Amino acid sequence: MKSIPYRFYALLLVCCMGVLSSCNNDTPSASNKTIPKDTSTPQPPYIPALMNDSGYTPVDRSPMDMAYFPVDYPTQRMNGSDTGSPLARIIYSRPQKNGRTIFGNTEKNPCQYGKEWRLGANEATEIEFFKTARIQNQKLPAGRYIIYCIPYPEKWVIVFNSELFTWGLHINPAKDIARFELPVAHTTNTIEVFTMEFLPATKGTNLLMAWDHSRTELPISF
Amino acid sequence: MKKLLLSFFIICMTAGFAVAQSKVPAVDKSPMDMSYYPAGYPVLKIGDKVTEPLAARVIYSRPQKNGRNVFGELLEYGKVWRLGANEATEIEFYLPATINKVKIKKGKYTLYCIPYADKWTIILNKELDTWGSFRYDAKKDVVRMDVPVQKQTDITESFAMYFEKTTAGVGLNIAWDDVKVVLPVNF
Repeated sequence: MKSIPYRFYALLLVCCMGVLSSCNNDTPSASNKTIPKDTSTPQPPYIPALMNDSGYTPVDRSPMDMAYFPVDYPTQRMNGSDTGSPLARIIYSRPQKNGRTIFGNTEKNPCQYGKEWRLGANEATEIEFFKTARIQNQKLPAGRYIIYCIPYPEKWVIVFNSELFTWGLHINPAKDIARFELPVAHTTNTIEVFTMEFLPATKGTNLLMAWDHSRTELPISF
Repeated sequence: MKKLLLSFFIICMTAGFAVAQSKVPAVDKSPMDMSYYPAGYPVLKIGDKVTEPLAARVIYSRPQKNGRNVFGELLEYGKVWRLGANEATEIEFYLPATINKVKIKKGKYTLYCIPYADKWTIILNKELDTWGSFRYDAKKDVVRMDVPVQKQTDITESFAMYFEKTTAGVGLNIAWDDVKVVLPVNF
């Protein structure tokens, strides 16, 4: 989802809103400012709330995003500069920090140490390999997986699982395929929006996962 | 006042720069979303409430009206539109499907549309993993279907796509601004 001008405007918008929010105590995000909240019609939880926009599903509070490897493969494909098929794609949702301490030991922390976290929000995070992938000397055949995380203060356990097309809150460990332990780096700057991105690496890619003051990278080769 | 505005601007610029330096991309202006048929399938699945097999999923981005006149102005009539924003909209069938009497195999396709005032031509195409409709190639079409435009009195601010059961099968509802169309799909 990269396009430099868009990104620049989005950043400008985000930071302007950040400045403004200190005055009015609001917690806007770049994406939902035009969506009025109206919770007058309670809905079953599985339909993302038919509550405004004249009955159509509103934009999610934790909007979905997609990342490819090679980075920006779709734009390469569009302008003809791609070299073959994509290698990986991830589809995930992007919750925001909104003043909370994300990782910790208490119920107040959205991600508790030692407990499964869906690496996003809403639907389980989905990763697709278009070619056999290798992670920490383990082969993962081409195909789709869901991935989730068990965070600890100094490490994250990243789990690949085969239970596709599920909502992220109910994980079936019987379908786990592989687990990888990764050290966590603690950042000084705050990462407001949960982010996953493929970073180019010498032998493939490092899948960056970052939120609040934590970040880690999962090296993947093809 | 000028000084205040200037310092506000400088704060914005430096804050923007600091964010830019952290290398983490911002949330998109037209965020992505996903709809399943059966509607809400992932939640039905974890609650053991699935009564119909997984049939389809659409992944699309959701631009907003933002006070603009969408059809005929923002989107020119007669020109191919990517039915969303950013990456080309993707529809996946997990069961064989039929659209406009054409049998569609299981798998992923991209979806486009050519809007007109009274009808939309919906296009299913084979070119995957691409951006927008800039490289749209009619030779890769799988099926086209004209569907009538239903004018709505209520405005849909954020472009929306979702599946619903209909008397004839399944309808993929597509709505934005004061317009809605339904693409009939059978499984």
